[in-house]
Amino acid sequence: MEDVVRPGNLSADGRLATADDATLVAACAERVPGAFQELLSRYRRPAVTLAYQMMGNLEDAEDVAQEAFVRVFQAIPRFRGQASFSTWLYRIVTNLCLGSRRRRKATVALDAVREPRASDSPSRQVTEALLTRQVLGAMAPELRAILLLRDQEGLSYTEIAEALRLPLGTVRSRLSKARTAFRQMWRKLSESGEEQS
Amino acid sequence: MTCRLYEEQLSSYLDGELPARRAARLDAHLKTCPHCRAELTALGGIAGRLRAVSSQVQVSHDFDRRVIRAVGYWHVTGWQKPVRSYLKPLVILALFLLAMMGAVWHFFTRPLGPPLPEPQPAISAVAPVVPGASVPPMQDPEAR
Repeated sequence: MEDVVRPGNLSADGRLATADDATLVAACAERVPGAFQELLSRYRRPAVTLAYQMMGNLEDAEDVAQEAFVRVFQAIPRFRGQASFSTWLYRIVTNLCLGSRRRRKATVALDAVREPRASDSPSRQVTEALLTRQVLGAMAPELRAILLLRDQEGLSYTEIAEALRLPLGTVRSRLSKARTAFRQMWRKLSESGEEQS
Repeated sequence: MTCRLYEEQLSSYLDGELPARRAARLDAHLKTCPHCRAELTALGGIAGRLRAVSSQVQVSHDFDRRVIRAVGYWHVTGWQKPVRSYLKPLVILALFLLAMMGAVWHFFTRPLGPPLPEPQPAISAVAPVVPGASVPPMQDPEAR
């Protein structure tokens, strides 16, 4: 007899941690105690990291990620599962970031990643991380979003199209534009850095 | 086709999203063009740079607690937290009622008006008779 996993009895038999996302989402929609916490523990870091790279500082990023999880919790009974849960979550996070940035109409410096301290050796990794943050901060938010979804979160073109509600062709061309912009700004900033040193 | 036109296809080529015929043409071009090969390598390195930064991000230790508080603990966890969340106001209410009862008891049991003077012992007109003491002789007032 095949063991059928039902969302309702996940909490009782302690299988939340091993349930797949779809089962967990169904359990969360039925308000099974602990199901939302398990989703939170799985997607806390990707959500905050994406928001951080979009917003530029950790405080705003955590506020956005918190708001995204609240929206997920409220809307999950209506989630039909056309896209994967992660794609849906990334869409909410990205939209909140873009909306938030539009409201502020200001670009903040990416400053929440630990700054190199005096005791740190000025390694190439630290320099590159600082340069990456500078380049991301200088990019247009829409280009930054598509670049992060592809190259940081590893979404497919189809998933990006679902997350950003764009045609596939637009995803392709915008991603190319975003990568080229990143590459050009990286080159420009690294050259200016070399001149200063 | 110039390098500029090939460069526009490098991103899709990198992700395996270029149609087969175009990919074959770009393959052939890359074999002969060191500039486009360098561009392709650079574009391929962006993911690593982004992940290097994101790996340094530290999520606050109380992030989950803040989210669950924002959502509403009862909805997330079931019945455990509400019992505890009701406990505090109940204790406060009980203490308040006790204080009120104490105040009422004190109000109704305290004496009204200024305190009464202590009652004085009554003065006896007849000296007490001490057993064994000599009794003075009665005088006849008509004997004078």
